[in-house]
Amino acid sequence: MRPVRTLVSITAVAVEVILIIMVVGLTHGILQETARRTQGVGADIMVQPQTTSMFMGFSGAPMPVQIGEKLAQVAQVRAVAPVMVQMSSTSGITLIYGIVPESFDAVSGGFRYLEGHGLESPDDVLVDDIFARSQKVHVGQTLTLLNHPFHLAGIVEHGKGARIFVRIDTLQDLMGALGKTSVFFVKLASPDDTRSAIAAFEQLLPHYQIRNMQDYLSLMTEANVPGLTDFIHVMIALAISIGLLVIFITMYSTIVERTREIGILKSMGASKAYIVNIVLRETAFLTSVGVGSGIGMSYLVRRIVMHSFPTINVLITGDWMLRAGLIALVASMAGASYPAFRATRQDAIEALAYE
Amino acid sequence: MPEIIHVEHLRKIYRLGKVDVHALRGVNVSVQEGEFVSIVGPSGCGKSTLLYVIGGLTKPSSGIVSLDGEDLGQMNEAQRTQMRKRKIGFVFQRFNLLPTLTAYGNIALAAHIAGIKNGAHRSQLDSVVKMLGIEERLQHHPGELSGGEQQRVAIARAVVTRPKILLADEPTGNLDTENSELVLNMLHDLNQKFGQTILMITHNPEVAIYSDRIVNMRDGHVLEN
Repeated sequence: MRPVRTLVSITAVAVEVILIIMVVGLTHGILQETARRTQGVGADIMVQPQTTSMFMGFSGAPMPVQIGEKLAQVAQVRAVAPVMVQMSSTSGITLIYGIVPESFDAVSGGFRYLEGHGLESPDDVLVDDIFARSQKVHVGQTLTLLNHPFHLAGIVEHGKGARIFVRIDTLQDLMGALGKTSVFFVKLASPDDTRSAIAAFEQLLPHYQIRNMQDYLSLMTEANVPGLTDFIHVMIALAISIGLLVIFITMYSTIVERTREIGILKSMGASKAYIVNIVLRETAFLTSVGVGSGIGMSYLVRRIVMHSFPTINVLITGDWMLRAGLIALVASMAGASYPAFRATRQDAIEALAYE
Repeated sequence: MPEIIHVEHLRKIYRLGKVDVHALRGVNVSVQEGEFVSIVGPSGCGKSTLLYVIGGLTKPSSGIVSLDGEDLGQMNEAQRTQMRKRKIGFVFQRFNLLPTLTAYGNIALAAHIAGIKNGAHRSQLDSVVKMLGIEERLQHHPGELSGGEQQRVAIARAVVTRPKILLADEPTGNLDTENSELVLNMLHDLNQKFGQTILMITHNPEVAIYSDRIVNMRDGHVLEN
C-alpha cells in the first residue's frame, strides 16, 4: 500500500485533465465572450475592409467614415454606427471602441448606465462594469489608455462590443487615423431585410467584406484563429505527457515492488493476459479517480480564475470534460502498457525469490 | 495406479554470466497417482529445480518431463501456464500469500485464476478449510496469521482447485516443530483422505518420513528411491 504514490498518480491525472479543460475552456470562453459582446452591439450587418481580420483590433482603421453616409442611404437601413477598434495593453489585452455616441446608441439601443454619464467631452471614457470591477476604478478617476489620460465619465452594463468606449474623433487623433474607422455596424428597419440589404451594400461597395451578424458569429471558432488549434494541440500533448509519464513511473515502481506477487500469480497459473489485466485495471481505477478529481477541480480553478480576472471567461463544456477524461484514460493506458508488459516477462522463479 | 509424473534423463542447465550451472544431470523419477513422495537432499542438490521443472515454472534443457500424460518439454510458456492452472497446486516455504488479500481472498483468487465461477469452489473450499482448521481465520490478512496458519491457508489455496498434483517446496522450512507437525499431518491427511498426489521436497529426513516414499538427491542426480 503506497498512499503517497497513489495520491501522486491521481494528482497527475487530475492536473492533466485540468490543463486540457482549462486551456480549451479559456480559448473557447474568450471566443464565446467576444462573440456575445459583438452580438450585443445589436447590429444586423457588419461592413469591414476585404482583408480585415475577423478579430477586430488587429486590422487598424482603414475605412473612410464617409462610407457610412452611403450605407445610411440604403432603404432598409435604420442606423449606421462607425466604430474604430483599437487594441490596448493597459491592464491586459483589451479592445477600445471609438464611437459616435449618437449613432452607436441608435444601433445598440443605448448603454445602460450603472454610474455616471455618457461621452460628453473629448477625453471622456466609458468602461463596462466588469472592467471597472477588475481594475477597481470609479467614475471621476483618471484612466491612462494609449498613453493618454482619460476621464472616467461612466460605468455601463457589459455586453456591447468592447469594455472601453471613447469618442471616435479622440481615438482617431491618438492613432493618427483622422476620418477613418475599422467597422460599420448597421441596424436595419427589419431583420427580414438582411439579405436584400447585403445585396445592396455589395453593389455599393463591391470590394468590402459585408456579413450578417450570424455569419460573423459563426466564424468565431478556434479554426479561424491562426495558430490557436495548434496551441491547443500542443497544450493537450503537454498534458498527456504529464499523465503518461507519472503513470509510467508509478506502475513501473509498483511492478518492481510486487515482483514476488507476480511470481505467486504465475505459480498459480495466471496467464500473461491476466497479469496485464490486473495492471491495467489498477491504472484505470487510478485514472478514473484522477479524472473525477480533475473535472471537479476544474470548476474550482475556473472560479478562481474568473474571480481574479473578471474580464476572462472560461467555458467548461460536457463535451470537453468527456474528451479530457478519454484522453487521460488513453494516456494512462499507454503509460502503463510497458510496466504491464514487463510484469508478464518476469521469470516466475526469480520473482518468487525476490526480496 | 497410473503414473502421474514421469521424469526421464532430465537435465537443466542455467547460464549465470559466462558460466553454465548444471542443476540437474539426468534425473529419472516417477510418481504414481495418489502417492505422497518426498525428495530429500542437501541445499544445492537440485531438488527445487526439479520441482520447478515438474511444475512448469521453467523449461527442461533436455530429457522428458511428463505430467498427467502431457509432455512439458513440448510446451511453450502459455501452455505450461495453462497446465499449471489446471493441474498443479504449489505450496512454498515462505507461504507466498498476497498480503493485501484476506485468507479467504487468497484462496478464492486461486479459484478465480482457474476460472472457477463464484461459489462453485465453495464446497471444496469448505471441506478443505474445515480439515485444515482455519475456518475462524478466513477474514484475517496474512500479517495477522501465525506461520502455521499462513501455511495452512497456502495449502487450502493450492488444493481448492482440485489439482492433480500438489508440489510442496520445503513447506515446513519456516515453521517451528509444533506447526511443522501440524502441517505435515495435514498434508498426510490430504493424501490419505482425498487421494491428493503430493511431491514434497525437503532437506530434513524427519519431515520426509511423513511421505509414502523417499527419493534421495545429490549434485543433480537421484541416488535412490
